[in-house]
Amino acid sequence: MSTRTVALLGAALLLTACGGGQIGDTGGGQDAKRMVLIPGVAAEPFYISLECGFREAAGAAGYVVDVQAPAKFDSTQQTPIVTGVLANKPGAVLIAPTDDKAMAGPMKQLKDAGIKVVEVDTKLEDTSVAVSSISSDNAQGGQLAARTLARLVGDRPGSVLVLNTKAGTSTTDARAKGFEDEVRKFPNLKYIGQQYTDNEPDQAASKVTATLAANPDLVGVFATNLNTGEGAATGLRNAGRTGEVQLVGFDASPKQVADLRGGVVQALIAQDPATIGRTGVEQAIAALEGRHVQRDVSTDLVALTKDDMAANEKFFYKQRC
Amino acid sequence: MTDVRGRSWRQRLFGANTLWIGLVLLALIAVFGAIRPDAVLTTFTLQTTLVETSVLLVLSVGMTYVIITAGIDLSVGSVLVFSGVTSAMAMNAVNDGNATGAGWGTVLFGLLVALLSGAAWGLLNGLLVAWTRIPPLIVTLGSFGAALGAGQLLSNGSNVSGVPEVLADGLGTGTWFGVPNLVLLAAAVTAVGALVLATTRFGRHTYAIGSNEEAARRAGIGVTGHLVRVYLLAGVLAGLAGFMALAYFRVASITGHDTDNLNAIAGVVLGGTSLFGGAGSVVGTVLGVFIPAVLRKGFVIVGVNVYWQPIAVAIVLVAAVWFDQSRRKARNQR
Repeated sequence: MSTRTVALLGAALLLTACGGGQIGDTGGGQDAKRMVLIPGVAAEPFYISLECGFREAAGAAGYVVDVQAPAKFDSTQQTPIVTGVLANKPGAVLIAPTDDKAMAGPMKQLKDAGIKVVEVDTKLEDTSVAVSSISSDNAQGGQLAARTLARLVGDRPGSVLVLNTKAGTSTTDARAKGFEDEVRKFPNLKYIGQQYTDNEPDQAASKVTATLAANPDLVGVFATNLNTGEGAATGLRNAGRTGEVQLVGFDASPKQVADLRGGVVQALIAQDPATIGRTGVEQAIAALEGRHVQRDVSTDLVALTKDDMAANEKFFYKQRC
Repeated sequence: MTDVRGRSWRQRLFGANTLWIGLVLLALIAVFGAIRPDAVLTTFTLQTTLVETSVLLVLSVGMTYVIITAGIDLSVGSVLVFSGVTSAMAMNAVNDGNATGAGWGTVLFGLLVALLSGAAWGLLNGLLVAWTRIPPLIVTLGSFGAALGAGQLLSNGSNVSGVPEVLADGLGTGTWFGVPNLVLLAAAVTAVGALVLATTRFGRHTYAIGSNEEAARRAGIGVTGHLVRVYLLAGVLAGLAGFMALAYFRVASITGHDTDNLNAIAGVVLGGTSLFGGAGSVVGTVLGVFIPAVLRKGFVIVGVNVYWQPIAVAIVLVAAVWFDQSRRKARNQR
């Protein structure tokens, strides 16, 4: 950057500071009967199911709805969408922030423009922006996974493994932690720790077969997301241990449900995205009408196994509403 | 490249450089084997390690050719994803939306689609690199993003399932006298790649362009056409790798191949191929690809702390290349 550019930038910043304004200050009146959902990423079964719940609840309450999703789960792609939505001034915005810090700025602009912000699925570190946050309790999901695995294994003794994505991923770390705390309550299960996979299926496969080589008594694997589940299934298949080693996955996208039906995975811990969407709408309406708003809402998770999956079809994630 | 003449094909195929990397690999296996002989030195561990490395090996063979021409191909992982998606979708399309129960005809059709998809991206890379003189790093960085985006566009951003069972059971998990079919395919591709590079005119021209492009041009080698063919080869092999991954995972994954390109480059360079072009071998690449694979597997088996694993892999990789470099320097000074 040349000195002149820096000087110009400095001058521009100074001017902005003096002016005291913010982008989005100008603009017309607010359309309180409009509600917008900004999911984390487009075309993902989890967010599509959330969108279905959102459309259903907001439509029933007489709101005009709009959904604007970024192509990738990335704050640089989500930010322009937020500023675009800001220009139209809807009454409320439901958003799944793609970064717990980077999205704070754009979302604060929404709040400052008088728009009610409700966080769904993920949340900002800064809790002052949104009026309410609705998400699954990931630690509870991990605990549920441990109990489900223990039930599937029965009283056979053996080792259990957790496949995590990347170190520092808050959702999967919470799932792994919940699992670890709960699995210790089952004396026949020996927890041999977690392995990171960089969220790559081939690494997950290789770590499962390596663990099988080192611990032939492996009886269970908890895969904390879609990719680790896919890799674990591949690893077990190559080892010829499918069905023998109990595999518990997380989320219930169509491919995972098909694997559950086919016996590749023995259980899935499903979130309830449709309820997250519906609850988000309820809280947004409460905020718009000046009623009491619940700051944090956590929705339940459910364990799906082959035997009870037919009764729980409403928990399968959808490709379209 | 005068020294290439006069050496036997065997010398040319293996080269002296690969010997030391081969010893590093053997040493690693010996160390892990000494700590946990019951878990490391088993048919099971051998089989699974080979299967898990097959897809990367096929990518790396193409990468070896590209790097020997002093180029680079960052797009291989994305082309793999794109080919997997087009192949799976094509197989589904000719079977009313679900190819799970389809026969070998569908599988062959899917293979053809995967190879053509890979070839299309390879051809695009090659034409841009050879004709427009844009640096390969930029060209393939572009196709790295574009191929992944195109794959997401086609599949609407989600994984494509419906892989024929005959493909998954035959190629994905099938074995032939105890050797996994996936490994046999990768071995065949590697053997052909090694022989073509070491013993044919196509291989000699690849080395010549990497050593000195201008000299190669003046010596009458069709540099432009040859470069196009080299990137085309890398693309076709990435397409094949996409098809193999489809058989192996039974689903065309959109995510999870972001670092395939770096893994392939690391394997090639570890195997003694120069990033500056003109030197290298496919046999070296085979050894280079197996070192990280053996390390990752070994660390899990002997129970190295999960946070130490990436650090330890990095240390061994850099140390191995350093060792190789200093030994070469010593030889050149003699």
